[in-house]
Amino acid sequence: MKRSHSLMRLAGILLMAALVISACGGAATAVPPTTAPTQAPPTEVAFAPLTYEAPDCDYGGNFRSMEAVDRYTVKFTLCNPDVAFPSKIAFSAFAINDSDYLESTGGGGTLVESPNGTGPYKIQEWVRGDHITMVRNDDYWGEAALTETLIFRWSSEAAQRLLELQAGQVDGIDNIGTDDFEVVENDPNLALYPRPALNVFYLGINNTVAPFDNENVRQALAMGIDRQRIVDNFYPGGSTVASHFTPCSIPGGCEGEPWYEFDPEAARTLLEEAGFPDGFETTLSYRDVVRGYLPQPSVVAQDLQAQLAENLNITAEIVVMESGAFIDAADRGELSLHLLGWGADYPDATNFLDYHFGAGASAQFGDGFPDIQEALQTAGSLSDQAERNVHYAEANNLIKLHVPVVPIANGGSGLAFKATVEGAHASPLSNETFRVMQIPGQDTFVWMQNGEPAGLYCPDESDGEALRACEQINESLLSYEIGGTAVEPSLAQSYEANDDLTEWTFHLREGVKFHNGADFDANDVVTSLAVQWDAAHPLHVGRDGSFTYWPGLFGPFLNAPAE
Amino acid sequence: MATADSTASPAPAGAPSPLAGAEGLRTAAPSTPLYDTWRRLRRRRSAIYGMAILGALILVALFAPVIAPYAPNTVLIGVEPVRPRDNPCIHLLGCPADQPQHLLGIDGNVRDLFSRVVYGAQVSLFIGISTVSFAIVIGVLLGALAGYAGGWADNVIMRLMDVLLAFPALLLAIAIVSVLGPGLRNALIAIGIVSIPAYARVVRASVLSIKEQDFIAASRALGASPWHILFLRVLPNALTPLIVQGTLGIASAILDAAALSFLGLGAQPPTPEWGSMLGQERNQVFTAPHLVFFPGVAIMLTVLGFNLLGDGLRDALDPRLAQVGIKIR
Repeated sequence: MKRSHSLMRLAGILLMAALVISACGGAATAVPPTTAPTQAPPTEVAFAPLTYEAPDCDYGGNFRSMEAVDRYTVKFTLCNPDVAFPSKIAFSAFAINDSDYLESTGGGGTLVESPNGTGPYKIQEWVRGDHITMVRNDDYWGEAALTETLIFRWSSEAAQRLLELQAGQVDGIDNIGTDDFEVVENDPNLALYPRPALNVFYLGINNTVAPFDNENVRQALAMGIDRQRIVDNFYPGGSTVASHFTPCSIPGGCEGEPWYEFDPEAARTLLEEAGFPDGFETTLSYRDVVRGYLPQPSVVAQDLQAQLAENLNITAEIVVMESGAFIDAADRGELSLHLLGWGADYPDATNFLDYHFGAGASAQFGDGFPDIQEALQTAGSLSDQAERNVHYAEANNLIKLHVPVVPIANGGSGLAFKATVEGAHASPLSNETFRVMQIPGQDTFVWMQNGEPAGLYCPDESDGEALRACEQINESLLSYEIGGTAVEPSLAQSYEANDDLTEWTFHLREGVKFHNGADFDANDVVTSLAVQWDAAHPLHVGRDGSFTYWPGLFGPFLNAPAE
Repeated sequence: MATADSTASPAPAGAPSPLAGAEGLRTAAPSTPLYDTWRRLRRRRSAIYGMAILGALILVALFAPVIAPYAPNTVLIGVEPVRPRDNPCIHLLGCPADQPQHLLGIDGNVRDLFSRVVYGAQVSLFIGISTVSFAIVIGVLLGALAGYAGGWADNVIMRLMDVLLAFPALLLAIAIVSVLGPGLRNALIAIGIVSIPAYARVVRASVLSIKEQDFIAASRALGASPWHILFLRVLPNALTPLIVQGTLGIASAILDAAALSFLGLGAQPPTPEWGSMLGQERNQVFTAPHLVFFPGVAIMLTVLGFNLLGDGLRDALDPRLAQVGIKIR
C-alpha cells in the first residue's frame, strides 16, 4: 500500500509538471499574428481602383492582370486567348467576396464558416454534422427567393434520404439509389427529376507508382476492363459507357478516336510485354460516397477488383477512404489506382480536360504529359470551335495513348422532390437553384444531399456538395441558367472581349450589397480573384489552401512556391 | 481423488455406512470431472440447442466447398441469366425450373448469396476462435502473473486492465483499427486486445483463491519453483471459469468483428464476411431485404449458439449451481 501511495504521489507530480509545461508552451506559441495584410487600400470615400498584375507571362499561368478601371468596370488581361473565359469566370469557385470581409477574416477561419456573399440566401447557422440554415436575403438585387428559410441537410445513405422524403421530413433529395428509381416513379407523392449524365466516372492511374510508370501496363488496364458490364449491371437507366474522357454533349468532347474495345487477350499480351505475365499486386482506392457518376461505389469497386483478377491476373486490394482524405491524397499523387469522377461545372471541354491534364493539374495522375498539355493549351486559346476540335481530337487521342485514366461511364442520376414542389429542377451542372423553388404555403424548404460541405468558402472547395451550398449564398460575375448550361449575367451586367480574346471587360451591376451591408464594387472583384491567383497573397489561406480550381482552369498560381 | 479415497480406506464389510448409497452410485458409472460436466451439460436443453447450432456451423464451415454451389467470389455476369440483387429462386417453392436456383438470392455484385453466407461461416469461426485464443493467451499470462505475484506487479497490470476496460469495447476497437488501418487482421488484433482484460480478471480471481489452498502450500513445502506451482498447480485449477468466459467471448468477438466490418473497418471486400455483407447492402433494405436478412440471421444464430453453450457450460461447471439444478429436475 505504501508503495502505491508513493506511486500516486509521483504521478501527481508528473501531472502537475505536464500541466505547467503545456500552459507555458501554449502561451509561448501564441505569437502575435504576422504582418497585417496590406493589399487593398480603404475604398470608402474616393474610389481608388486596384490593379493586380503579373510582371510577365513566364510564370506559366494565363492571367496577366486584373484591373478595376472604375468603380463598376473590371478588365482582365490574359496571356493567351481563352474562348471559355466567360464560362469559367461564371463558376462558383470564382465567387466574389467583400474585400474588407476577406481581410477581416484573414482569408480563412471564420470565412470558411460564415460566408458573406451577394446571393439570394444568407447563412444563418451551420450546425456541424447536422444542418445548414439559410434565410432569404431581402436586399437581393434580382428576384428574391420564394421560400424564406432554406435548410441543407445530408446523409450518405440513399435509403435514409428516400425514407426522409417519403416521411415528409425533407422536400427534395439528391442522388436516389440505383434501385429506387422505380419506387419514386410509382409514388404519386413524389416526382422524379433525372439529371443528364454530364459527368464521367473513371479509373485514375498514377504514373509515378510502379508498375504504372509503364505505358503498356496502363494500356492493358484500358483494354482489360469490361466497361459495358459495369454500366449494364450497376448503373441506373440513362447511363452510358464513356467513349472519351469528356461527355459527348460537351462541345468538342467526343472528338478523336473512341476508347479501346474490351479485349482481355490483347491486354494480357501487353502485360506480358511489360514483364508482368503473372500480373502483380496493387491497391484500388475509393471513397464510399455516392455521386451522380458513381451511384454504387463499393459494388463497382468490387466488380473492378474481380475483373482485374479475372482478365489481367492483377490482385488489387481495395482501400476505402474518407471522402476528404481521399481527395487530398489523390491530389498529392499518393494513390495508385483510384476510382473518382467528375461532374461538369461549366459546359466546356476545358472543364474536363484542362482541370485533369492541363499544365496546372494536380499530381493525381503523377507526372503530366507535355504533349497533352500542349494540345490543350492550343485548343483553349482558339475561338473557333471547329479549329478547337482539331486539337481536342489530338488531346483525346493522346489520352487514349498514354492512359492516365480509364474513362468508364457517364452516370445518369436522379433527384426526387415532393410532387407539390414548384420550380423543382435537376441541373446538368449539379447546381440546383433553390431560390425558385417553393411549396405554396410553406416558408421552409428542406433539401437533403449526400454529404456535408467541408467549407463554405468555395474558392477553396472542389466537392459539389460544398459548391451547391455556396451557390445559394455567393455569386460570381456571371452565372449559368437555371437547370441549364448557358451563361447569363449575374454580378456583371455585360461583358466584352477584344478580337483575340485576351482582354475581357466586365460591366458590373450597380447598387448590389453584400449580406453584411457593404457595397459591391470593382475592387471586390479584383481582390477576390487576386487572393486565389497569387499564392503569396497574405489572404491566400482558405480552408486547406489548395484552391484547386484556379490552377486547374487558369494555369499555375502567380508566385507559386518552388517545389 | 474419490477413487483414491475409497481404495485407501476400505469400509468394514457389512457395516452400513451413511456414504454407502453415494459410493454405490459413483462406482456404477465411471466418474471423472469431465464426464460429470458432460452429464450436467446434457441435462440443459439450452446447452443442447447451442451445441446443435455450433455443430451445424462447424460442419458448414468445414464442408463449405461441398455445400456451396459457387465459390464465394464468383461473379455470375455472363455465366447465368441473373441480375444484381435478384430475389431467391428455389425450385421446390415454385421458382420456374428454367431459372437458375439461388437459395438466398443474388447480391449486388451478382454473386450467389447462399455460397457467400456458407463461406462466411469459415470467416466468422476463424475470427471468433483466433481472437479469443489471442486474448486468452495474453490475458491468462497477465492475470496469473498479477494474481500470483501480487504487490506492485498486480497493481500495474490490473490498473492497465482497468484502463482498457474503461473504454467501450467497440469504441476502443475502432480506435485501434484507425491507428493500424482497416483490414481483417488488424480488426482481429483490435478485438483481441479489447477482450484481454476480461480473461485477465477471471484468471487473477481464480489464482488468488487457489494459491491460498493447502495443496499449493504442500507443493511449495516440497520445494517446487514458483513457475512450477503457477503453471502446473494453479492454472489447471483455474481453467473452469476461463472455459465459460472463452465460449461467451467468442460470441462477442464475432459480433464485434461483424460490427467493425459493417463500418468498413474489418474484413475488406471481397471477403465473404457477414458483417461486411450487411454493411454493403444496407441501403437496399427496402428494395432487396434478403441481402441484409440472411447474413443477419447467420450472425444471430452463431452468436446465439455460443451464448447458449456458454451459459450451459457455466451452469454445468459450477458445482453449487449444478447440485441445485439436478435436484430441481
